Amino acid sequence: MSRSKDNRPTSAYQPAQPTTESAVTSSIARELVGQLTHEDRDRARDRWRVARARWKGRGWKSFGGLRLLWLLVGPGVLVFLGENDAPSMLSYSATGARFGVGFFLPFVILTFMMGLIVQEMTVRLGAVTHRGHAELIFDRFGKFWGFFSMGDLVLGNFLTLVTEFIGVRAGLGFFGVRPSIAVGAALVLVLAAITTGRYWTWERITLGLAIFNGLFIPAALLAHPDWSQVGHALLTWTPLPRGDRGEIVLLILADIGATVTPWMIFFQQSAVVDKGMQPRDIAAGRLDTVLGTLLASTFAIAAILATVPLFHHGINAADFQGAQFAQALEPWIGRVGASLFALGIFEAGIVAAIAISTSSAYAFGEVLGTAHSLNRPIREAWPFYLFLLGSASAAAALVLIPHAPLEFIILTVNVIAVLAMPPALAFLLLLVNDRDLMGEHANGFWGNFAGVTVTVLLVCAGLGFGLFTIFPKLLGG
Amino acid sequence: MKQEKTKRHAQAHDPGAAAAYAEHPDLQDPNVVLSLLEADQVVAAKTRTRFGKRNLSVGVRWLLWGLRVYVFVMLVIVLISVIRALHGGQ
Repeated sequence: MSRSKDNRPTSAYQPAQPTTESAVTSSIARELVGQLTHEDRDRARDRWRVARARWKGRGWKSFGGLRLLWLLVGPGVLVFLGENDAPSMLSYSATGARFGVGFFLPFVILTFMMGLIVQEMTVRLGAVTHRGHAELIFDRFGKFWGFFSMGDLVLGNFLTLVTEFIGVRAGLGFFGVRPSIAVGAALVLVLAAITTGRYWTWERITLGLAIFNGLFIPAALLAHPDWSQVGHALLTWTPLPRGDRGEIVLLILADIGATVTPWMIFFQQSAVVDKGMQPRDIAAGRLDTVLGTLLASTFAIAAILATVPLFHHGINAADFQGAQFAQALEPWIGRVGASLFALGIFEAGIVAAIAISTSSAYAFGEVLGTAHSLNRPIREAWPFYLFLLGSASAAAALVLIPHAPLEFIILTVNVIAVLAMPPALAFLLLLVNDRDLMGEHANGFWGNFAGVTVTVLLVCAGLGFGLFTIFPKLLGG
Repeated sequence: MKQEKTKRHAQAHDPGAAAAYAEHPDLQDPNVVLSLLEADQVVAAKTRTRFGKRNLSVGVRWLLWGLRVYVFVMLVIVLISVIRALHGGQ
């Protein structure tokens, strides 16, 4: 860590500066020798594998081939497939059932492009500063703004976690599994993923589960979509949605909230840090994020197409939950298709439950200064793991309480995500433009143009929703 | 030959290279661990340093407060919307 020789620290902390200086050649190397932790060794092992893959690839400074990509892929794919969670897939399903093939297909792709712009910035922030998002906000903006951000995150994450377990319950409910067993099994999976004591292993387990988000593709194929209609919709954004304007506005907001949410920012940055990524890995991190965007947008489109038969047959799916979609689809896509759909909802819930509870735990640990890495065994980072499992368990318990206000939560969660994004984006843009933090990796003009555009669009979407709610007749609704 | 040249070049320019070329790096050796990590990736280095609070301009403060008020107002509107939706459904 570079330090001015004349600048003796007056506080408990010394000033930090981002550096690519190797630890072994740094001025404090001798002090660090006796203070290495299990986390450092695990991270060093991961870095050894990356360095070796780079060496064995085309050239020392080049991208290095598929092995390197395999090693560095993870946070980006996980964040986007995790964001294809139960309420998101149900929003897409509701979109297909209500409006069929049309405007919403390219619109959903646009929302993923917005998500890509946002998430790419978290890759750079994490790789350059080696700090999580919550930690950076507390450091640079102080406790007041830090706790505001944490409040948004904790509230949003808890509400979202509840909906994930609702999805788990609904998905397995299609197969007659009792809610307590479905929710319990999901908690066991969350526990199994985090008890490995290795970020790499946790990441691979969760990626393995996340790829089952692709179950919506065979479900969509079994719905026999009209591909010429799909192509026409993607190119022309038509037909436009018709009907109740309030419902359209709500679905637009829900579909945006299905793709860009605050937890994604906190999660991906912390995962990049936990993975040990460095500035030289930014290109691979970008590719990882693009890959996540492509996969997730494909699966989202599949979820829309899978429920188009409900639109064609005039089935009112306005109040459908996960299992009801699968049951309603069975006559048209068969028992296999409906089962795949239900399993997809279950998968969406479980992967998001893992990712979102981890995001909350990362932020908790960063803020309190406790150990917060999946590379730590439970005995060394028990507050981190306790918060992770505790938040998941509390959400799961709420789902099992009779007469709990679940419908209220489902209606609001994606909308709240959209509304909470502008402040989160403001902090992100301020951090990624901070040259003291980012150096040469700070945002350029086009990065800021894209980031500000996304923020303005989200604010306008929220204001539009607000105006319509207060003045329902404004749009002729 | 080319790989050997690459190896020597890398070792000269990157301290982590020596560890990278090892078939099985000795991660109990602190110097090997430190050679693979950047200085501020080490947990002990991170816990003793902070980036420090930045000075927020008046414009930035207005922006952050404005967005905070926006969120609060919108949450109230969401509450109204949901109550209407729930009552409308009854």
